[in-house]
Amino acid sequence: MAHSDRPLSPHLAIYRWKISNTLSIIHRMTGVALSFGALALVSWLLSILAGQGYYSLVNDLFDSFIGRFALFGWTFCFFYHLSNGIRHMCWDVGKGFDRLQAQQSGILVLAVALILTVGLWAIVLAG
Amino acid sequence: MAQFNLPPNSRVQKGKTFAAPAGAKNVRRFEIYRYDPDSGENPRMDKFDIDLAECGPMILDAMLKIKDEVDPTLTFRRSCREGICGSCAMNIDGTNTLACTLAIEDIKGDVTINPLPHLAVVKDLVPDLTHFYAQYASIKPWLQTRTPAPPDSERLQSKEEQELINTPSACILCACCSTSCPSYWWNSDRYLGPSALLATYRWLVDSRDEATGERLDELEDPFRLYRCHTIMNCTYACPKDLNPAKAIAEIKKMLVERRL
Repeated sequence: MAHSDRPLSPHLAIYRWKISNTLSIIHRMTGVALSFGALALVSWLLSILAGQGYYSLVNDLFDSFIGRFALFGWTFCFFYHLSNGIRHMCWDVGKGFDRLQAQQSGILVLAVALILTVGLWAIVLAG
Repeated sequence: MAQFNLPPNSRVQKGKTFAAPAGAKNVRRFEIYRYDPDSGENPRMDKFDIDLAECGPMILDAMLKIKDEVDPTLTFRRSCREGICGSCAMNIDGTNTLACTLAIEDIKGDVTINPLPHLAVVKDLVPDLTHFYAQYASIKPWLQTRTPAPPDSERLQSKEEQELINTPSACILCACCSTSCPSYWWNSDRYLGPSALLATYRWLVDSRDEATGERLDELEDPFRLYRCHTIMNCTYACPKDLNPAKAIAEIKKMLVERRL
C-alpha cells in the first residue's frame, strides 16, 4: 500500500460497549467454553469405558469445588448459548431487528439463561 | 487473525491541553484525536476546554469553534451541517455518528472524539475511505436491466414497490455502520460490510432491476456477506436510523429462498 505508514485509528479499545455487542461477544465466549465442556463430557463418558477406578476419579474431580464451579459455569454457558441461539434464529427469519426489540430480546435472553441455570442447580443440589 | 492491539506507530499518546478563556461560565472538555502526518510523531489526544455559553449546540459547532478560535490546524471533514452529506462521521463518546446531528448536551462529561475506527488516518479526524468507496462501487449501485424500457414511458413502480427502496435509499454513505462493525474491522479486505450490503439490498428489492440473480451470485461467498454475525453495532450506529443488520438478514433469506 502506498501509505502503509499511516496510523490505524483506534477501534476495540474506544468503541462503547452496548447490550448488543456485549451479548454478541458473550455468545462467542460461551461457545468456546462449551467446546471445552464437551471435552469434559467425553472424558466422563470415556472413564465409564475405562473402568471403575477411572470413573470414580473423574466423578471425584467433578465433585470437587473447582469441578462444581466449572460445571456451574458450563450450565450457564449452555443455557445462554441455547437461548441466544434461539434469538439468532429469530434474526435469521428476519424478526426482531428494531433497535428496541433487539435490546429487549437481549435482556430477556440473559434473564432466561440466569433463571434456568440457578433453577437447574437448585434442583440438583436439593435432589 | 484479528489484531486487537494497535500497531506501534498508531498508539495514542498524551497531547496538549488548551485551557478555557478566563471568565468562562460553562466549561466542557473535548478530547480530540490528533495526527499530523508531517511531524513523524504518533497520534495524540489533545484536550480543549470550551465555554459552552459561547458555543453552538452541536458537537460540530464546538469543533468549528476550536478550529476558528483555538487551533486552526484541527482537521476534519464537514459540509452540510444537517445530517445529509455524511462528511462529519466520526467516533464521538465511543459511538460512530455525525458531529452535526449530535447535541453536546446529549453527552455526559468529557466529550471524546476519535476518527472512524480501524481505518488508516490521513490527518486528525480524516480517515482514508478509498477502500470503503471501492466496495460500494463493487456492488454496482445502479439500475441494471435486460429488457428494453417501455417506448412511451419510464420504468414505473407502484407505490408499494417504491416503499421497498425508500428507506435503504436514504443511506448517505457516511461509513458510520461499516466502521462500527468488529467483523469489518478484522475482515474488511474480504467482507463488504453493512454499508455496501445495505446498498446491495436496495438494488435487490428494486422492482425495476433485472440483475437480482447476478447480484446474489456475487454474495455467495464465505466472506462478502456471511462475515455478518448480527452483532448489530451497525444498526445502533446509523445516524439516519436505517437498519443494515435487517437488510443483511433479508439478503441471507433471499439466498436460501432461491434454492428452494
